[in-house]
Amino acid sequence: MDPSALNSAEMQRLLNQEKEKAMVNEMLAKLTSECWDKCISSAPGSKFSSSESACLSNCAQRYMDMSLIIMKRFQSMH
Amino acid sequence: MDSFSSPSIGSSSSNISSSDLMDQLKTQLAQAYAEEFLETVRGKCFEKCITKPSSSLSGSESSCISRCVDRYIEATGIISRALFNAPH
Repeated sequence: MDPSALNSAEMQRLLNQEKEKAMVNEMLAKLTSECWDKCISSAPGSKFSSSESACLSNCAQRYMDMSLIIMKRFQSMH
Repeated sequence: MDSFSSPSIGSSSSNISSSDLMDQLKTQLAQAYAEEFLETVRGKCFEKCITKPSSSLSGSESSCISRCVDRYIEATGIISRALFNAPH
C-alpha cells in the first residue's frame, strides 16, 4: 500500500466508520455501567426481576431524553 | 507483546493492503473492547459478590460471580435494545 493511500477518501470513510462504531460502543458501555449501578441494588440472581429489567430499559431511555434536553438548553444559550 | 502491537506491521508495511490494515484495526479494536468489558465486569461483580473477603472464595461467592457475569451481559443487551430499538 502506498502510504498516501492512508489519506484517500476511501480510507477516511472507513476510519470514520470505525470511529463512529467506537463512540457507540463507548456510550453503550458507559450507560450499562451506570444503569447497572442505579438499578441492581442486591446481589445478582439467576434472572432479573421484572422491576430490575424495566429499570434498566427505562434508565437508557431517560438518559436519551436527558441528553436531548441538555442539547436544546445548550443551543438556546448560543 | 501487548494487545496493541502486531508483528506484521512495521517490517513489511509497504506490502500491507489497506483492507488488511482495516482488518487489523478492527481486530485490535475488538480486543480492546473485550478487555474493557472484562475489566468492568470484574469491578461490578467484585463489588456485588465479594463483600467481605475471607481466606478463600466460598461456594456462594462463586455462584454469585457466575450469575453476575450472566446478568451483566444480559443488562448490556437490555440497554442496547432500549437505545437502538426504542421508538420515540
